[in-house]
Order: sequence, then structure tokens, then C-alpha cells
Amino acid sequence: MNRRDFYRFGTLALGGLVSLALAVPGVAYILDPILKKKGREGDYQELTSLSRLQVGVPEVFPIIEERQDAWVKYPPEPVGAVWLIRQPAGSTEEVLALSAECPHLGCAVNLSSDRKSFFCPCHTSSFKFNGNPINQIPPRAMDSLKVDVTKDSDPKVRVKFERFRPQIKEKKPLV
Amino acid sequence: MFNKLADWLNDRTGYRAMMHEALEEPIPGGARWRYVFGSALSTTFMVQAVTGILLMTSYSPSSSTAWGSVFYISKEMTLGWFIRGIHHFGSQAMVVLLAMHLIQVLVAGAYRAPREVNWWFGMALLFLTLGFSLTGYLLPWDQKGYWATKVATNIASGTPVIGPYLSKVVVGGSDYGNQTLTRFYGLHVGALPALFVMCLAAHVALFRKHGLTPPADASKRTAGKFWPEQLFMDSVVSVAVFGILTFLVVSEHGANLDAPADPASANYPARPEWYFLSLFQLLKHFEGDRVILGTFVIPTALMVVMLLIPLFDKVLPRGLAYFLSCGFVFAVVGGAIYLTVEAVKADEKDTLFQAERVRADQARERALALAADPKYGIPPDGAMYVLLRDPFTHGQSVLSRKCLNCHYFDGKGQVSHDESGKETSTPQTASDLKGFGSRAWLRGLLENPRSDSHFGKVKACGGMARWKKNSKLTSKELDSVADFFEKFVIPTPPEMTPEEWEAQEGLAEHPGYVAFNKEGECTTCHSEWGSSNPEAPNLFGWGSKAWITRMIHKPEAADRYGYLDKKDQMPAFGSDQLSENDMDTLIRFLKGDYLVPAK
Repeated sequence: MNRRDFYRFGTLALGGLVSLALAVPGVAYILDPILKKKGREGDYQELTSLSRLQVGVPEVFPIIEERQDAWVKYPPEPVGAVWLIRQPAGSTEEVLALSAECPHLGCAVNLSSDRKSFFCPCHTSSFKFNGNPINQIPPRAMDSLKVDVTKDSDPKVRVKFERFRPQIKEKKPLV
Repeated sequence: MFNKLADWLNDRTGYRAMMHEALEEPIPGGARWRYVFGSALSTTFMVQAVTGILLMTSYSPSSSTAWGSVFYISKEMTLGWFIRGIHHFGSQAMVVLLAMHLIQVLVAGAYRAPREVNWWFGMALLFLTLGFSLTGYLLPWDQKGYWATKVATNIASGTPVIGPYLSKVVVGGSDYGNQTLTRFYGLHVGALPALFVMCLAAHVALFRKHGLTPPADASKRTAGKFWPEQLFMDSVVSVAVFGILTFLVVSEHGANLDAPADPASANYPARPEWYFLSLFQLLKHFEGDRVILGTFVIPTALMVVMLLIPLFDKVLPRGLAYFLSCGFVFAVVGGAIYLTVEAVKADEKDTLFQAERVRADQARERALALAADPKYGIPPDGAMYVLLRDPFTHGQSVLSRKCLNCHYFDGKGQVSHDESGKETSTPQTASDLKGFGSRAWLRGLLENPRSDSHFGKVKACGGMARWKKNSKLTSKELDSVADFFEKFVIPTPPEMTPEEWEAQEGLAEHPGYVAFNKEGECTTCHSEWGSSNPEAPNLFGWGSKAWITRMIHKPEAADRYGYLDKKDQMPAFGSDQLSENDMDTLIRFLKGDYLVPAK
């Protein structure tokens, strides 16, 4: 290697060094949302008492949580909604909890105008009260959530709120 | 295949000739280390551009969000501290390298005809760089940036004729706020970079047009080429600069973030960034109206002379012009160094400044600890409220300002220091509020009402002492009274009526309640829960937030200390004197309801 070659390779090496020393942290910085540890899992949240739910009649309840949005900490406020449907006596579960977030593209699922099924106003997804789809628009049934009914004299319905990935056939947690 | 593609591209663009033109620039007298500064500046500018764009993706320019977003970048994001740290120290490297570049160009005589215009572009780049520094310093919206920049724009407002308008336009009004940040941000990331790139392009184009100023002995040495000799040296220096930046960032743990800007803070020791310290110090040498000399006349005169340097040759012999130019610049640099050292030394000797800096550092650490704590965090209405709603910071300050000229807290009133540093406190004429409203404070009162912590310094409140003299309650019974207060009285919710309160399960049977009522021990004076007594305050909800609030707002009320003579009553502090937040943080401070500072 002669002097000029040394300069050539040296320049490329040194330039590469500075570029990498900046590019690697830069890429890590941009990928921060992916590199960050998963957020903490939500806890069970009490929504109502069992006695206030009528069998087979869906009722919607807001999920109230403290929210951390990047640097801002918001006081407890609604972050989502859940449909609760009390099941007839003898069912395996006493209460069915369905996330109001449509598995299609995440709009808020409401009751249809005849109040006999669920209906999403965005792309007309329809679901039965057990969560199963009525038409072909949604990729899967409405997302059921874990329910815990307490054992005391006036049992309370507690639900663990989670979000799931839209658009896919399987119910996978959103991370 | 690759060659074919390259040929095709070359046909369409002629890039080979351009590369050749760019890289094969001849260097009379060969490559030299002293020519590296321009390239080092360009590299540093590139680093600033890259880190700046990265920061832009996470920064939010408003007075409520700026500090929070910078906090998030520095403390939460992956390597955010590194990116911001490089940008912070990179700005200082720009200033240092600019000074070196300027001196190199001056000493080499490279400002002379026909290169005058290039000297002026260089000066423009210098001012743009200082503009970057000034606008960037404000963006975190922390105390340091806020106060230092406020001084700078106030200086600008002193410019004859246009000053007031100029500063109003730059600040976006008369007061610092959202418009100031958006304007400074727009300048920092939009206008200044565009101007800088244009001036830099012209600067480099003119440099290439005229070529390097050949050194005197150029003819005796072999000529070199920009590629690869000079570029290699440039690269070595760029690596060195980046290495120094990395070292500074790692050893300083990134750039500092002071407490959130608080327009109400009375004693923040504002100082500009170190390279502006000489201008700052200059102002101390001019009194009264003559300050315009320091703020405007001298800096403007220096600037004008700097711009005129290439023209000295026209009127003076070449040698003399060179001597005067170099002499002038070295005098300016020397003067700046002298003033900077003077400023640093003055601050080192200034005990008041040191004390204020310590306080500012405490506020900074407190704000960072609160912002990082998952229970507290930064509220939606802005980072300013991180400290403003902190009982330990704001509640304690309210206590000190409003209460401690009569009360004590933990054995001290309002503390001041005399010149020798000796601590003196205001005299105590009321109780010691440490733990007021707690079981412990009450138990202390029941044990010895005449102690200084309780009513020892308040002659008018002798009732408890008179009771104590004749009281037959045992120590165990007093304990149970304190327990009763802790369990039933202090936690009384504000919406509860005295009737509902007395009907609570287990209240009437509580041994403390029994002792309270035993043979009129307490009930002789404190006979009623929930209405006024003839010679004692009503104790319904004593120690609760509602009770203390009413005590502070209306100490003269019949259910508080209305039974005392007017002159013996505590002065009332109405909501005109204490805001809701003042009251809330004050009471939470007394109750110890705050993030306990780590030792």
C-alpha cells in the first residue's frame, strides 16, 4: 500500500467511523417505540355490580385509566369502552365482556338501530350479542375480555381491558 | 453490470466530471493540517443537522410541552440523551471551530482581494451560527434558557429606533410564551438552516473559484490534491472533533436540563452560554444610560470593523493593514477571554450567586425526580406545574412566606443569613407547625400544651395549659384520645355532617371518645362537635384539609378562635392571599403528602 492508498482507505474508514457513530444511535433513537419494553398489563377494573345487568341485554361501560402519553401523565379518564352481556343462568360464564373496539379497523362498535345486534358505523361490520360476526366485513368475532365476578353478597363485575391487533383473523394482543 | 449502470448514469448526469472537479482540487504547497477547520466546520454542521432533525421528531414547541418533550428525549427515549448531548456540545464546537477558522484565514491573509466577498460570507455564517445558539438555547423552555434568552431579547429591545419593534416581533408579543417558542423554533429549524446552507454554498463556491491562498513558500514545495491527502487530514480532525463531543456527552451524561421555566421565580441566577459570557460581563462595566455602549455601540462597532478588514488594504500599506487587522482580531479575542475569566471569577466569589445556583440545582433535581416518578409525572397543563403543584417545593415556600413570620417549622422561622453567614431566625410567636394536624402533634399538645411546639409562645391560648394542670387523664387515656383523633377526627371527609359523623359505627365506644367525654375533661370547653364553643375551637374534623383551610381563611370565625380578643387572633389569609393551589400544597406539605426527596 502506498501513501495515497493509505490516505484513500484512511479517509473512507474515518468517514465511515463518524457516520456509524452517528447513524447507530440515530437509528436506535428513531426505533425507540419498538425497542421500548412493553407497557405494563392492565389490571382488572370494576365496572358494575352483577345485579344491575339484565340477562341478554348488552350495556356499555367506559374503561377509566390513568394514561401516560409520552411525557404527559393524564388523570384518570375514559380510554376505551366495553360491552357487558349477562348470560342466562347455567352458562359457563356469568357475564360476557366484549371490547367495543371493532376487530376490523378499530372504530367503536355500537348497537344496531333495532338494538338486536352490534353494528360498527364505519364499515358496517355486524355482530351477534355473543360477538360472532353476522356479515363478512370483520375478520373475526368481537374481542372478548377476561371477566372476574366477585364472590361477595353483591357480586361485582371486573374486567381486564386489553387491545388487540385489527384486521387479522386471530385475536392477538396489540404490543 | 455495475460499470454499465455507472456509465449510463454518467451519460445522463456527468457525475464523474463533477466528482473529479470536487476532489481533484489542487492545493498549492501541499495538504496542511492548518487547512482543516473549514471541513471540520462542515462536518460539525452536518452532525448538527442530523441530530437536529432527530430531535425535531420528538420535540414539541409550546410553553406547556417543550420542557416535557425534552425531558422525554433526555430521560426516556433510547439514546435520546446521546443525540441531544451531541447536538448541545456540537453547537459549542461550531463556535470554537469558527473562531479557529477565522483566525487561520486572518493569519494566512486569505481575506484580501479578490476574496473580500468570501470573508463577508464567512462573517454571515458566523452570525448565523450565533443565531442558532441563541434560538436553540431557549427551546428546552427551562429556567436557564428562559432567563438567559429573556436578557438577550431585552438587550435587543434597547437597539436605537427599531429595538422595541424588533424584540416584539421576535418574542411574538410583549411577554414570553407560546409565540416566542414557535418563532424561535421556526428560526432555528427553518429560516436559519436555509440561510446557512445558502451562505455555505456561496462560501464554498467562492473558495473554489479563487482557490486556496498559496502560502509564501508554496513554490518551493510540491503541490498536493484535495483527494486524498487533504481530505484524509480533514477526516482525522473530524473524527477527533466527534471523539471530543462523544467524550463530553458521556462524561457529562448528556446535556443539562434545568427546572421548567417559571416566569414567577424571583431569584434565578441567569447566565448565558459560556461563549456569550464576555458580552454579558461587558454590561457590568457600564452604568445607567451608558449600558447602550455595552449592549449596542461596542458590539456593533466591532462587527463593522470585522466586516471592513478586507478593505484596509485600499487605504493603508499592505503590511500595516495586515498588522492592524491581526492586532484588532487578537485584541478582540484577548478582550473576550479577559472578560470571560472576569465573569467566571466574579461568580466564584459571589456567595449570593452560588447560593442561588444551589437552589436552582435543587429545583432542577426535584423537577426531574417528579417528572420521572410514575405517580406524579408531568401534568397535561404543562411542566411548569410539576414544581408549582409540589407540596415539598411550593407548599413549603408558601409556608415560609406566609406562616413562618409567626409560626415555626421544625424549630425555625424565616431564616436569613448575615454577612458572616450566620443564620438568624424570626422570633416565634405561634406554634411549631411541623406535623400539625397529625396524631403525633396532638399527642404532644396533650402531653405539654406549654411547650414551644404548641401553645408555649401563645399566651392567649392558655386554656389547654389550665386543663392540663387539673387533668386526671392517664397517659394511656391520652394515647387513646390521640388514637381516636387519628381514626375518626382527622380523616373526616368534607361532605360529612357532624350528625353523620357521630353516628359512625364504633365511634361512641372508642376508648379515646370515652376519655374525651370523661368527667368533662375535654367537653367542658370543646362541648360541641360541629358548632361553636364559648372558649375553645370546634374540633369537628380537626386536622382535616377542610378544618385547616377554614382555620387559615377565617381564624376569627366563632367555630375557630373567634372567642379570643381581636389582637390575639391569627390574621386571616383569604383566597386573595392564598390561591387554591397555595392552600392545597401548603396543607399537603404539613401532612407529609408528597414525594419524599431521595437523600
